[in-house]
Amino acid sequence: MQVKSGLAQMLKGGVIMDVVNAEQARIAEEAGACAVMALERVPADIRAEGGVSRMSDPKMIKEIIEAVTIPVMAKVRIGHFVEAQILQAVGVDYIDESEVLTPADEQHHINKHNFKVPFVCGARDLGEALRRIAEGAAFIRTKGEAGTGNVVEAVRHERAVMADIRRASAMSDEELYAFAKELQAPFHLLKETARLKRLPVVNFAAGGIATPADAALMMQLGCDGVFVGSGIFKSGNPAKRARAIVQSVTHFNNPKLLAEISEDLGEPMVGLNIEPTLAGGHFAKRGL
Amino acid sequence: MSTASSSAQVTEAIVVGVLALQGAFAEHIAILSRLPSQPKVVPRAVKTKDDLIQCRALIIPGGESTTIALLARLAGLLEPLREWVRSGNPTWGTCAGAILLAEAVEGTKAGGQELLGGMNVRIARNGYGSQVESFEAPLDIDGLRDPEKLFPGVFIRAPVVLSIQHPPMRPKPYILARVAADLVPVGSSDYLPDPTDDPTDPQDDRTVVALRQGRCMLTTFHPELTKDTRFHEYFIKEVVCA
Repeated sequence: MQVKSGLAQMLKGGVIMDVVNAEQARIAEEAGACAVMALERVPADIRAEGGVSRMSDPKMIKEIIEAVTIPVMAKVRIGHFVEAQILQAVGVDYIDESEVLTPADEQHHINKHNFKVPFVCGARDLGEALRRIAEGAAFIRTKGEAGTGNVVEAVRHERAVMADIRRASAMSDEELYAFAKELQAPFHLLKETARLKRLPVVNFAAGGIATPADAALMMQLGCDGVFVGSGIFKSGNPAKRARAIVQSVTHFNNPKLLAEISEDLGEPMVGLNIEPTLAGGHFAKRGL
Repeated sequence: MSTASSSAQVTEAIVVGVLALQGAFAEHIAILSRLPSQPKVVPRAVKTKDDLIQCRALIIPGGESTTIALLARLAGLLEPLREWVRSGNPTWGTCAGAILLAEAVEGTKAGGQELLGGMNVRIARNGYGSQVESFEAPLDIDGLRDPEKLFPGVFIRAPVVLSIQHPPMRPKPYILARVAADLVPVGSSDYLPDPTDDPTDPQDDRTVVALRQGRCMLTTFHPELTKDTRFHEYFIKEVVCA
């Protein structure tokens, strides 16, 4: 477990960027990404085009692994443990069991303890995060609402996690037993979280981050780093925006520098409001 | 180790910087904060040149060396860091930090990458392979407190020291720890050739995982990911205060 969660610890303070080909992966690496997420369509396109979204072609993932020296992650559908076996065989550094793809199992997540490759999973609240860790996730991210360019859901999820951790950290054991029942989370993980006053694994922001200010906001709310999906390569100047977001995660507490970094980045991605009719649906409600 | 006494209390605290641009800097700071040693160690996150000049020693953490080097350049820290190392200030690099302290590196991104230098080694990034090749190995490290207790070595997409040089006028490199020769991934890439070469030579440079040269030190593994504080104690006692 130390080796699995250790890689996530090395990614802290960094930005993980969605890329759809080797060329984008190189742009991300040059811009200072600490890892890339290889996928065939970024969430904004998955949302717009609809249909069933699956694991990417291993050939395309291998091309990206060849193109960069930083860690390469890839997504599998929730519960699709064979896609995960395939990605482990391909040699990816991390697997994202992701609600952005169409779930393969509405009841069960992958038993991630069965794998040597580590997993990251999304969560909307503390209960979800601890259930994923119980299943073997070595790394948690907010679900947010991917492909919207709207940070509101990521903020909601991070605030929910942090608020529950603060509540738990003031509880007696008797109260923690009751709280574990309420959260539907394993008691031992809740107790460890309460003791640490943070999740026992690395916790990144994801789902709707589009600007350096969004990234710094998530860092100030307590995240360890940031995933940016559609926000970079759906913007006017991907290389410049990517570099600015990388800098904003390092200097998240320095408004003067953030002001300089945020200047003249070109058009951000088009944003979508989170409403019942959201095109492509609400990904965050998949796989609780 | 001196015990707390009136004389120890007036000893000035040692400010140890941890380069906090990207990576596992919080883990180093957490270990430095609970070292049992005297004089007292005060960790400081280093993000700017002003932070750096407050420090007596520096730890460069694990992370992504390309990201750290880029952020150092954008923060105007690259030259001050090179000057820091050249001036002989105590510096310890773990994993990505070890890569940055090397004079030469293989397996870089297209177009190469910026280094700080300071140690006469040639090193291969990510020398063992992808994450599924990451491993733990108990290490016998020269000079640690309680030497009979092996140190838990955590290797994550770790670099491999390819060769160690000793140019004239430079301090002599001093090997602190090696891994077993059968862990060395010979034949895995262009710069780790010789699948026919007998990899069982325990004195092969490629088995070296912890090294000192003057006041620089590198480890290709991550003491900051363990609960064992002995390597940090060693750095303070033998490299910073020596």
